[in-house]
Amino acid sequence: MFKKFSSEDVSSQNQVKASVQRKIRQSIADEYPGLEPVLDDLLPKKSPLIVVKCQNHLNLVMVNNVPLFFNVRDGPYMPTLRLLHQYPDIMKKLQVDRGAIKFVLSGANIMCPGLTSPGGALDDDALAETPVAIMAEGKKHALAIGFTKMSAKDIRAINKGIGVDNMHYLNDGLWKMERLE
Amino acid sequence: MAEKPQSVRVLYCPVCSLPAEYCEFGPDFEKCKPWLIENAPELYPDLLKDSNDKEADKVSEQLKSVGISSSGGDGTTTAAPSGGTSTSKQEVKRLPGGKIKKKEKQEVVIEKIVRNKRKCVTVVKGLDLFGVKLSDASKKLGKKFATGASVVKGPTEKEQIDVQGDIAYDIVEFITETWPDVPETAIFFIEDGRKVAAA
Repeated sequence: MFKKFSSEDVSSQNQVKASVQRKIRQSIADEYPGLEPVLDDLLPKKSPLIVVKCQNHLNLVMVNNVPLFFNVRDGPYMPTLRLLHQYPDIMKKLQVDRGAIKFVLSGANIMCPGLTSPGGALDDDALAETPVAIMAEGKKHALAIGFTKMSAKDIRAINKGIGVDNMHYLNDGLWKMERLE
Repeated sequence: MAEKPQSVRVLYCPVCSLPAEYCEFGPDFEKCKPWLIENAPELYPDLLKDSNDKEADKVSEQLKSVGISSSGGDGTTTAAPSGGTSTSKQEVKRLPGGKIKKKEKQEVVIEKIVRNKRKCVTVVKGLDLFGVKLSDASKKLGKKFATGASVVKGPTEKEQIDVQGDIAYDIVEFITETWPDVPETAIFFIEDGRKVAAA
């Protein structure tokens, strides 16, 4: 999704009003309970929260010019990979085997066999249509953020086709956008 | 409130910006290698072994060359240029590789456009190729010359800076002073439709 993404895709930047800010905070806190204690540090109440609207109904939540979360249309908020690397345990993790890393890092969606093979691992609690962190065999850090197409059980049972949509991966446009002016 | 989970510090490679462990899947693993050897040797044990071998080779070569040159009469003068050529060779080698070739030539083009016979606009193109932030640059230019300066989308989606007034002659000095990365040789004027070097 962020394969080609640059500051040119930004259509507007707005400092949002307090009520919207509260709503965003609330939905992030609901989605990631593990993040709640540090939420005050991440999204300080004092500093302005900026919502960046981009093409394809994409929104970025930005504090101090650093993009922290993104969402599509009214979907769930997902952390950027830089944020996820800091707090790795906030999301459910799915692991792909080593052979898949190359493809994921060029933007491919995650196929079921890559998750069910010996190198992969599945969190059985992962439901369909939720954001998950994509880890890799033998690596400590997440390499992508995905949005599950089917639940972990289905992935195991069907074992065919796209299991997780690749939303954001290492070295894509959003990753390269460390700061946005 | 629950205890704050400690944020994890991830080691990022400054060359390709990926976490160190993903360098091998990055755009240019070769370039990352020197940094990896220094900063994250535990992630790539094979690499360390290779580099050690190579370094040993290099040292032995150097020893050889020194031995030869010192045996000659004016040894020091011959040794110095040979070292220079070897480094320049490396730079040349890197250039043809894949994406770098595509990169646009880094140059700043300055053009004066006359309007209403006695008023003109100076257009500065290509500052962004030197990693200069155009919005900052336009502010600085406006301040320095006390005129309006704005970032404008020029033809073919390129961004350029329009500065009101004829500042073509002072601007070269100003650019080289404020942004030392921009060499004077890379600045060009457009005069009668021809490119003329500023220097």
